[in-house]
Amino acid sequence: MYCITDEQIDYILNDIRRGGIETEDLQLNLLDHICCIMEQELKEDGDFERLYHATARQFYKTNMRELEEETINLLTFKHYYAMKKVMIGSGALSAAILTTGSIFKLAHWPGAGILLFAGIVSFSLLFLPLLFVLKAREAKNARDRMVTGLACLLGIVFSLATLFTVMHWPGSSMLWFTGIGLSAFVLLPVYFFTGIRQPETKLNTILMSILLIGITGLQFTMMNTRPSLSQTYVRVQSWMQSESLLKAMQTSHQSEQAAGINALCEQIKSLAIGHAATDPVHELTEGRPGDYFFHNGEGLQLIARLHQAVTAYNSQHNAEMIPIENSLLTADPEHLGHVYSNVSILSSITQIQLYLAHAENNGLASAK
Amino acid sequence: MIFSSELIKGTLKTILLKLLADNSKMYGYEITQKVKEMTADRIQLTEGALYPTLHALEQEGLVTTQIEYIGKRVRKYYSLSPAGKSRSQEKLSEFADFVNTMKILLDLDLKTA
Repeated sequence: MYCITDEQIDYILNDIRRGGIETEDLQLNLLDHICCIMEQELKEDGDFERLYHATARQFYKTNMRELEEETINLLTFKHYYAMKKVMIGSGALSAAILTTGSIFKLAHWPGAGILLFAGIVSFSLLFLPLLFVLKAREAKNARDRMVTGLACLLGIVFSLATLFTVMHWPGSSMLWFTGIGLSAFVLLPVYFFTGIRQPETKLNTILMSILLIGITGLQFTMMNTRPSLSQTYVRVQSWMQSESLLKAMQTSHQSEQAAGINALCEQIKSLAIGHAATDPVHELTEGRPGDYFFHNGEGLQLIARLHQAVTAYNSQHNAEMIPIENSLLTADPEHLGHVYSNVSILSSITQIQLYLAHAENNGLASAK
Repeated sequence: MIFSSELIKGTLKTILLKLLADNSKMYGYEITQKVKEMTADRIQLTEGALYPTLHALEQEGLVTTQIEYIGKRVRKYYSLSPAGKSRSQEKLSEFADFVNTMKILLDLDLKTA
């Protein structure tokens, strides 16, 4: 029987390592196995290297790495089929919940928030990670794996950004910018420059890159057209200033008619502040008159009643004490929800009260 | 005649568990030789299937390993763990059932086949 030398053992081990076998256990197993075969078959004057390569060649179909991959697959993917089922199930379910949630949100029905929350969470934290794990396994090379990873990460960031925006949670702008930056400066370059080099993926790469640029650009535009947080913040502060000016101007001596108008105004304001009464600055910087303002048309009814009361007040004093033109009162009720934000409604109402206080104070002065 | 690797693939675990149940400890090369010898060369386990499966069995806790140094190289011996012993029984009776069912399904006469 031939006896393998230490140099030959090193030669075999190095070749196995170069072939892509990284698991040490597997390296040792294969080394011993090959040595056993060689010792059986090699003659004293035989060509060691030729026999080695012929022997090793029988272990795989195209390259040695297959053994490593098969081992890893068997070790990690015992639950492959279960994972696949969960992935498809969670994907379909989140899509359905998200669609339902969006319809609820559009129609101002209760429960929209919970539906959107559940849909986005299961989409971004269950479906996308599973998609990555399973797709990365099928990826043929490191490039495909990296692109899949980045794309899934981007999907997660954008979904969470949407969730934060819809729920009015702080930090949504940060997430949007992170997502857009990731898309424009990481995913796009990696995807484009690795894909363009191979002739067979060239056309697809160009098309997909154009689409990516388009989508990222649109998102960036959308980010910029949303009123910025600081702008809204300034408007909230300005309303609060008007509010304290009003407090300073209001006296306890006011006509019954004026008291009625003020009561209506306070009702509208508390409706617009809604559940944000405890923290108006934060809530108002994020929101529009939501479900609570237009729910059952209560906000619109109050505005209509205020309109009547103000008109009556003006006609009794034979002058336009409180100007109605260009105010909230003459706004098209259909468009009120889209054009006016919560802060605009508050400001507009406070202005009406300021005119009223001014008129009442003047009236008192002339009566004296 | 050598059986196709598709046929062997599904039964590889059963074969390995049974071999280890009959022999207290074996190493990879020994297993391939033993199978070859017992089946008169008709079943030849490929290294590409054998070692990944052995590693999977080890991770599932069905086999335990023991290392032996032979000069500069290392030989890894596999033997059944208690859990592996009961699994080996289950796998064998499952396969026996399978063969009986296939006999009916494919209308085979095992005596002449």
